[in-house]
Amino acid sequence: MTSDTPARRRGRVFSRRRGAPGRARRRLGAAVRMLAALALAGGVYTAFTPGAFAEDNVQLSAVAQEGKALYDTSCISCHGRDGQGVTERGPSLIGVGSASVEFQVGTGRMPMTRQEAQAEEKPPQFDKAQTEQLAQYVQELGGGPEIPDGPLVADIDTDPEALARGGELFRVNCTSCHGFGGGGGALSSGKFAPALHDPTAEELYAAMLTGPQNMPVFGDNQLTPEQKKQIITYIKFQLQEEKDPGGLFNLGRYGPSTEGMAIFLVGITLLVFTSLWIAGKS
Amino acid sequence: MTAVHHAGETGTPVDVNDPHLSRFDIVKEGLRRDDIEIVTYESHFHGQNSKAEKRVVRNISILFLLSGLFTLAFLVAYIWWPWHFKLGHTMSDYYTPILGITLGLGLLALGFAILAWAKKLLPHELSIQQRHGDPSSDDERLITGQTALFVADELGVQRRPLLKGAIALGSAPLGLAIAAPLVGGMIKNPHGDPEPMMYRTGFNPVANGGKPVRLTREDGSPIRPEDVSAGGQMTVFPGIPHGATNHYADSPTLLIHLRADDAATTRANAEADKNGRNKGSMWGNYVAYSKICTHAGCPASLYEQQTNRLLCPCHQSQFLITDNAQPVFGPATRRLPMLPLTVDEEGFFVAASDFKDTVGPDFWERP
Amino acid sequence: MKRRKIDLAQAPVNFAKGADDRFQGATPLRGLLNKVFPDHWSFLLGEIALFSFIVLLGSGVFLTLFFDPSMKEVAYDGEYLALKGTMMSAAYESSLNLSFEVRGGLFMRQMHHWAALLFMASILVHMARVFFTGAFRKPREINWVIGVLLFLLGFFAGFTGYSLPDDGLSGTGLRIASAIMLTLPIIGTWLSASIFGGEFPGELIIGRFYIAHVLLIPGILLALIAAHLGIVFKQKHTQWPGPLRTNENVVGERMFPRYAMKQGGFFMAVFGVIALMAGLFQINPIWLFGPYRAAEVSSASQPDFYVMFMDGLVRLMPNWQIYIPIGNGYSIPPMFWPAVVGLGALFTLPMAYPWLEARKLKDKRSHHLLERPRDNPERVGIGMMAFTFFMVATISGSNDVISDKFHISLNAMTWAGRIGLLILPPLAYYISVRICLGLQQHDRQVLAHGVETGIIKRLPNGQFVEIHQPLGPVDDHGHPIPLEYAGWVVPKKMNRIGALAPAIKGFFFPVEKPAEIPVSPAVGGAVKREEIKSGR
Repeated sequence: MTSDTPARRRGRVFSRRRGAPGRARRRLGAAVRMLAALALAGGVYTAFTPGAFAEDNVQLSAVAQEGKALYDTSCISCHGRDGQGVTERGPSLIGVGSASVEFQVGTGRMPMTRQEAQAEEKPPQFDKAQTEQLAQYVQELGGGPEIPDGPLVADIDTDPEALARGGELFRVNCTSCHGFGGGGGALSSGKFAPALHDPTAEELYAAMLTGPQNMPVFGDNQLTPEQKKQIITYIKFQLQEEKDPGGLFNLGRYGPSTEGMAIFLVGITLLVFTSLWIAGKS
Repeated sequence: MTAVHHAGETGTPVDVNDPHLSRFDIVKEGLRRDDIEIVTYESHFHGQNSKAEKRVVRNISILFLLSGLFTLAFLVAYIWWPWHFKLGHTMSDYYTPILGITLGLGLLALGFAILAWAKKLLPHELSIQQRHGDPSSDDERLITGQTALFVADELGVQRRPLLKGAIALGSAPLGLAIAAPLVGGMIKNPHGDPEPMMYRTGFNPVANGGKPVRLTREDGSPIRPEDVSAGGQMTVFPGIPHGATNHYADSPTLLIHLRADDAATTRANAEADKNGRNKGSMWGNYVAYSKICTHAGCPASLYEQQTNRLLCPCHQSQFLITDNAQPVFGPATRRLPMLPLTVDEEGFFVAASDFKDTVGPDFWERP
Repeated sequence: MKRRKIDLAQAPVNFAKGADDRFQGATPLRGLLNKVFPDHWSFLLGEIALFSFIVLLGSGVFLTLFFDPSMKEVAYDGEYLALKGTMMSAAYESSLNLSFEVRGGLFMRQMHHWAALLFMASILVHMARVFFTGAFRKPREINWVIGVLLFLLGFFAGFTGYSLPDDGLSGTGLRIASAIMLTLPIIGTWLSASIFGGEFPGELIIGRFYIAHVLLIPGILLALIAAHLGIVFKQKHTQWPGPLRTNENVVGERMFPRYAMKQGGFFMAVFGVIALMAGLFQINPIWLFGPYRAAEVSSASQPDFYVMFMDGLVRLMPNWQIYIPIGNGYSIPPMFWPAVVGLGALFTLPMAYPWLEARKLKDKRSHHLLERPRDNPERVGIGMMAFTFFMVATISGSNDVISDKFHISLNAMTWAGRIGLLILPPLAYYISVRICLGLQQHDRQVLAHGVETGIIKRLPNGQFVEIHQPLGPVDDHGHPIPLEYAGWVVPKKMNRIGALAPAIKGFFFPVEKPAEIPVSPAVGGAVKREEIKSGR
């Protein structure tokens, strides 16, 4: 959940309320108020189960209010009211967490333009602030994984082993779909694992944590935050920033496919033209 | 200079000691003896030292000099360019490209210098050589054949059957003796080992002193059910010494935590398994399949958590997780074996038994 | 003491005399210096393979100085930070050290790999040239067979070399190789266990592949290449038909100096292209692949391109398994058909082709003149059919990369490959045969009616006709006497017959002697047709 205490959050809500109250606000139930009060008093506002807040509604922070406004214009048609999901159209967003929103919306995958095998990356429709608002809203809807604060990339000057350990983890967990060189790869029936050349550390972290699309989830018990940071360190330093030492062009690091094309398009072509010149009369 | 004359195959011999003959005349006499006739032999240029010729000579010289320059640059780069690998953007990243470009251009310049020399400076020439590809005459063939047969006669093996048998019996063992260490040293019975390698993995309790083998991560740490999130998967290895090394190349297994509804389908299908091998092999919402593809042995580990498919990156076989990992696409014919799962008293995953199907690619005598 | 007289100018002469006294080399040497080679660009394609083989030998020897073919587990402690502390085999460690800690080692490794790809690529192109021009016909069948064997050996040399670094990709390849061995009926498990020294991967395979890669296969390759060249030398090179050229002669240049210089220059060019590619394009970045672990794999795992057709066939093969219900039951896995039977057929059928064709055409003559592809549509059709099959298989070998990069469904790619493998080769056969026949017909038309001049004339009756320039003499009415086809290029543009300025200046110097066979007896025509000896 958020780090705000409910009291502060409520204060902000009241002080910054404007315009017509949202539908959700109108439906604020007494039970929720009660629960919030209990939590405030007892400080045990920790236990929650996904879906517990689905029916009712929490009091939303101001940021989440903004997010909700965006949600109700752009997301609601597929994910339904209050993120409950629409059968055959969009999954429920209860419990997916802000990390998921930051990944899906931040990389432009959501909102989708049409129903297809896999949401494709495109220029994001919302700016950073709007994405955060949406994320905050979904987070407050039903909790879920969040991207931690602080640096997500290890400092390889102080922790030089992080790179090698990240590499090992990368090869066990990631290469089967994203490839040794991070070039991505095909999955069944038109789905694919995207290339890892562009994503930011936050996106990488969010993807591991939430398992977007067909990517498996790597929860914190499986890959500790420390290990996730090591993997990100490897991707950032070795796959994104590192200049390939073996040539000016790395042929996309796709291996033999592009190498085979290069030998015909460059090697054989150059030499056939050379032999044409040699044998040509002059 | 054009020399066109039709000497024919025989032509008229020339006295090569005649002092009036030019060197070219002597060459032509040699050519005549080799049944070669120069039909055209003509300079590309009109007269000596023509402007065009000078230009060509200049260009070729430039190419030679360029070659020297590039090769020198190669040497300089080879010796002085910082070449020790460093992480990040450093000068050393350009070591290999610079070697390649300098050496490559140096060689190409040299190559084209020689080619241009041969092509542009040397006189244009058209020579005709007779092939003489005729087979040997019938007489010759007859003589050679008879000679070969006479060799056999001389040996007289035909007339001396004892010798024939003795040679065969005497030399056959030698041939076998030469082949024996080669074959005998290499041959290995796949079914003769104390541990039958085709049918057993590291999860067999036998290798663990009879105790069920734990599922471990690559570093050997055991796994609790909550370590794998729903919709997540983990590559697990047998928790025995060297369990995660290539010594147990057939043992890597994919532990998958399914979502509740998928788990229900998977369980229903596992319980309805035709030969009953997968019955009771799941634990809660967890299922474990061999990671080794039944087609060619690559790790079939591309786990699609929404469509519940496992895809093999080598030949694109696809297995349906919710249906006993049956192959649904691609060249694989056999499902991925399921590892019977349970949890020991400390709460860690263990294999209830070894795989009940043979792990890894198919072979002839697989039961 | 007697003063020795030394005449420096006479030294070479004396040396030569001494050599001839002992080895009687003067006559054969003159024959060698004078030997005539025909000149055509397509005759240089095989040289690319020869020259890249020389580069392979040189760079390969360098690599052996640093490579350690051992599968002993070691912890990496080299300069490459991202693998520090990782457990790996000594083979992989030494490959990394070779790349990062030997000065110029990475460059040499990349040259070796690019040279290997160029070797195989040029063999393919050279084979295509030999096939489509009919150069494999009697008396050169054996050399064609040797050529196919060279490709097969190169295939195995390449695969063993690909396996040696023991990185993640080569281990995956080895795993598939072991699975292919396992598919063999009856002996499969025995063969795999014997070659790997037990269960896959064992600890011996790198050492065994090493000796095969650096000694056995190159030894046989070298011997076969020597035989290949020796036979070309003995039988003399084929040549295209054309003026002066007959089945009994060779028209071209003497070996020394021009031909030899061209060879030397071309070697430098091939070497230069390999070096340039080794510097410009990164190949096989083993440091990204990590050490081979049975549990690790990468998407886009492919063999090098010359093995890709086999991998593609394996990918396209439907999941048809044969069960034999005897005893415990036996099975033949589907991979057996593409990987063992398919590979066998793809090498034995081409080997047998020269005899099959000769048998079909009842042709027992020796051929030293090449055939233009269009003059044998059947052969072109069969060749294009094989080529299309090979291409569909090869493309399917990287169908996952293609489907990922071009956003095509992977399953659709597989199905397209399966259907394409059956439909496209016959289609290629039909199309190429039709094209050949069309080209033939056009040649005959020009020979019969002359070249289109582009000049349109209006007849008195108002009809428009284009004037044709006859290639040969005309009869009393001014109609061209039809010429016979000579097996060589027919001029189809006015500038080719000297009516306009030639497109390329100084292209050909007229020869006086008219061609005998197989150029048409029409004297005037022969003189004009000499303009076209260009080859292109």
